[in-house]
Amino acid sequence: MIKHNYIYIVDDDAITIFGIKKLLSQLSRTPKVREFGNGKTALQAITNALKQGKQVPDFIFLDINMPIMDGWQFLEEFLKLSLDKKVTINIVTSSIDPCDKKKWLSYRTNSKHRLLFNNKPIFSIDLEHIMRINLAS
Amino acid sequence: MLKTTFATSYTSIIRQLPTATAFVDSNLKIAHASNSWLDFFELKPQEAMGKHLLEVFEGHDHTEWKKCLNKCFKGFTEHGLQHKTSSTGDMQWFEWTNAPWYDDNENIIGIIIQTEDVTKRVESEIKFEKLENLFKEQSEISNVGTWEYNLFTEEITWSDMTKKIHEVPLNYSPTIDSAISFYKSGHDRNTIAMLVHNGINKGESWSAKSKIITQKGNEKWIVSAGKPLYKNGQVTRLLGTIQDITKQVNAEIKTKESEQLLRTLIDNLPLNVFIKDKESRKILVNKSECEYLGITNPEALIGKSDFDLYDEEIANISRDEDVHVMKTQKSILGKRTVSVKRDGTSTSFLTSKIPWLDINGNSQGVIGLSLDISEMIQKEDQLRDLINVTAIQNKKLINFAHIVSHNLRSHTANFSMLLDFLINEKEENEKQRILGMLSHASDNLMDTLENLNEVVDISTNVNLEKKPLNLNEHLTKVQQNLAGFLHKNNAKITNTITDDFMVQAVPAYMESIILNLMTNAVKYKHPERDPKISFSAKREDNVTIFSIQDNGLGIDLEKYGEKLFGMYKTFHNNPDARGIGLYIAKNQIEAMSGKITVKSDVNTGSTFSVYFNDKA
Repeated sequence: MIKHNYIYIVDDDAITIFGIKKLLSQLSRTPKVREFGNGKTALQAITNALKQGKQVPDFIFLDINMPIMDGWQFLEEFLKLSLDKKVTINIVTSSIDPCDKKKWLSYRTNSKHRLLFNNKPIFSIDLEHIMRINLAS
Repeated sequence: MLKTTFATSYTSIIRQLPTATAFVDSNLKIAHASNSWLDFFELKPQEAMGKHLLEVFEGHDHTEWKKCLNKCFKGFTEHGLQHKTSSTGDMQWFEWTNAPWYDDNENIIGIIIQTEDVTKRVESEIKFEKLENLFKEQSEISNVGTWEYNLFTEEITWSDMTKKIHEVPLNYSPTIDSAISFYKSGHDRNTIAMLVHNGINKGESWSAKSKIITQKGNEKWIVSAGKPLYKNGQVTRLLGTIQDITKQVNAEIKTKESEQLLRTLIDNLPLNVFIKDKESRKILVNKSECEYLGITNPEALIGKSDFDLYDEEIANISRDEDVHVMKTQKSILGKRTVSVKRDGTSTSFLTSKIPWLDINGNSQGVIGLSLDISEMIQKEDQLRDLINVTAIQNKKLINFAHIVSHNLRSHTANFSMLLDFLINEKEENEKQRILGMLSHASDNLMDTLENLNEVVDISTNVNLEKKPLNLNEHLTKVQQNLAGFLHKNNAKITNTITDDFMVQAVPAYMESIILNLMTNAVKYKHPERDPKISFSAKREDNVTIFSIQDNGLGIDLEKYGEKLFGMYKTFHNNPDARGIGLYIAKNQIEAMSGKITVKSDVNTGSTFSVYFNDKA
């Protein structure tokens, strides 16, 4: 039984969301996608799902620069949650600030989840990442 | 009878002879002696008369005398000079003559001894000889020569030393004219000619320092002294000395020259130089020190201590240093000191104090050197300020570069992605959708560039001129521009600022700052109440503070405080939020050397305070 993958896109840029969704739609098996304009609303959705015993995302596209709660703040809070499954978080940012890359590295080593780091633009989505979730779940 | 008479008178005559005389017979027995003879040898008549001559003068070596007496018996007359010591211990000199004593028949019947006291003569001779030697020695040691000029014969005589001084051969014979011509022509020669003239005609003595040119052409410093000698009230001779003082004068000149050199050096050093005695009283100051203390005459500072020149506190510190240096004999080198004069002016010095020792190695004072480094310190401070400013600017610049790169990158990334989609898209509808997205992305890019331009303008126009601005006039103007917006949101404004309140600011920035803050106060209103805004202003030292308070949403400063004034940071789910207003306001305020602070409580409201620097 292969479950549909559940994917969150957390980004305040409508064009990026459009692009990611378009790329995902090209996959043979279209996953279920939810989008959020900032980290706060995404975090609320996850905590609600946990409370209600609903499905939490397998894969999160996470932007860094966002209003209200940015990507790092979201990550900080997300890592505190007690989750059974291993979630892949793909940080997608237009930032080329080396500080951001360093931050990612330090989070990656201290987390049980899988953290990826990609600079915008995204032209394709590595199927491997999504497939591996399939296998894992 | 006659014979007896004669004999008696003969004896008495001999006794009364003025010349000390004694007659001894052929047996050397004293037959007669004058009183003067007896007196000279301190003999009583009974000790001498009829006694053997050699027995009377017992205790002396008589070998020579015996020979002499024998010669007399053979008809010779002998002379001699001898000395004896009187009973009072004085040296007495006498000349003696021993001659044969003939009777009427020319037979030698004895010897006539005559003595003459020549002590005085001999003494004066010795004295003269001594004096002459002494004088010769003296003249050689002190280079003093003598001369004598006889007015009648017009003869001038020079001593050997005088000749030596003039560097002429010892057989040189000068004339009064040639003597004067040795003096250097001009002042020296005129002076000596006049002095000699006055000596002859007015009887005046002189002593003068002059220069002579010796026969060998050497220039010498001499002291020439002269004194007229009188005979019967007439000047007959001039006597004088001439002393070679070239060495002394040269040494003196050299000393003066090195003193002058040292003084010039000390005075022209760009240092305050002073020497203090054991009690810290100044005994030497240079020009710089005088100028620093505002005194033209260095003498006015001599003998003064720091207690006379500075307040007690400053003077005490200085005195303690002096005592320390003198006690330990160790220098204080390059110590940074601040000296405050009585008029309150303070100067920074780099001071060195060095112990001044006497020949025996004991401290006798302090040598001080102070370099005024006020200007240097001022420059240093300016430099430090500049470095700080540069560091801040640099940080800002890096920050700005990141913002720019991030913002531009996010748009270009979107372009890239959309174009990639467009190329690969087959469906016409989807193509149109992507094109729409592209145009949206292009608008976003334009907006971003405009925003960035605004920021660059602020950062490049650092030197915009500040003017005194009426705060209320500007508030009213912005209120009028926002009238529609304020009315729509039902905003109420209270203003406690007086109409004459002025602020030093750049006019364009002032309006932009007020606009941003006022817009924010309304934009982030609380959903449950109408916005209420109040303006206030106050003045603290050199700073004017303008505050704008609202009753809006408020901001969680603990979470967002750091980012509040950052670029593209928004904190509320407000579709109008651009995240640039406060960033620009902050840049504008900082460009005017001011600052902006915020106090806020979530759900209660916020107060933004703008600090305007009153200085230009």
